[in-house]
Amino acid sequence: MTQPTRQWSAEKLLLVVSVVAIVAGAAVGTSVGYAVHYSAPTTRAFYLFNSSLPFDEHTWGIPHDTFAPDRITVNKGDKVVIYYRNIEDTTEPHTFSMDTPYTFDAVVHAGQNETFPVATSVKGASDVVVQVNQTATITFTAHWAGVFRYYCAYHQPTMTGYLAVLG
Amino acid sequence: MQMPKGSAMFRWSAVVLLFITGLLDVYYGNFYAGFYENLWYAMGTIYIFTAAVIAANFEPRFAQPAVFGYAIFLFVLWATTAFATGVGLDTIAYLDKAIEALLVVNMALLIRSSRSPSLLR
Repeated sequence: MTQPTRQWSAEKLLLVVSVVAIVAGAAVGTSVGYAVHYSAPTTRAFYLFNSSLPFDEHTWGIPHDTFAPDRITVNKGDKVVIYYRNIEDTTEPHTFSMDTPYTFDAVVHAGQNETFPVATSVKGASDVVVQVNQTATITFTAHWAGVFRYYCAYHQPTMTGYLAVLG
Repeated sequence: MQMPKGSAMFRWSAVVLLFITGLLDVYYGNFYAGFYENLWYAMGTIYIFTAAVIAANFEPRFAQPAVFGYAIFLFVLWATTAFATGVGLDTIAYLDKAIEALLVVNMALLIRSSRSPSLLR
């Protein structure tokens, strides 16, 4: 004696599959939320200055210029805004340059802050020149994880900093 | 004869939605995620594979509910992860999930039409 094959109706099947999928998805999603400490990409602003160490660069044979700060740490995906001020007490210009693969947009203001008129602006550049008493607003997105150099092309090797992008 | 036509229509619209969702997932993993990108690649690849399975009408009694469940699973997974971590809340993710929601409805209609009693002989 054979029993007739019983099969679920479409509604019952949809209901069961939905409930199982919702419970499983919520369980995994909640676990990920607890397990992973993650902060969503955000905009991070930094103020960057040039600095001079107290030694005679002619005697020592290397520039006394440095960046302050010389370490910038962000998360991958963050939008980075750097306000660079050339606070030299001489007439020395500096550059803000970055190693590949990073490029940036920069707006250079002809004064000590961003309210001054724009002197120059660049897009997708790997370096920008900032004259004494000028302010550059540099923006880019930290697409690549790793440690990347930012530097002044005129004052190597001392005027170098590192962007650390946590991936 | 009307149900098979409806069923075929839902099947092909499911294929299109699966393929678009798969491509969006891969695109998102490549350009946006910054957070478990490999997971988005895997999800996208699975969607594109399931598009082929649904298009071939391979084992529909198993494949259709599996795809339906997979889409709901990923939608809820995204919603809870987004709620817990704040990640994946951007235009591309919203678009991806809106299409995924359409896919869920499409799959439900496909399953209903495929399992219509008139087709069971």
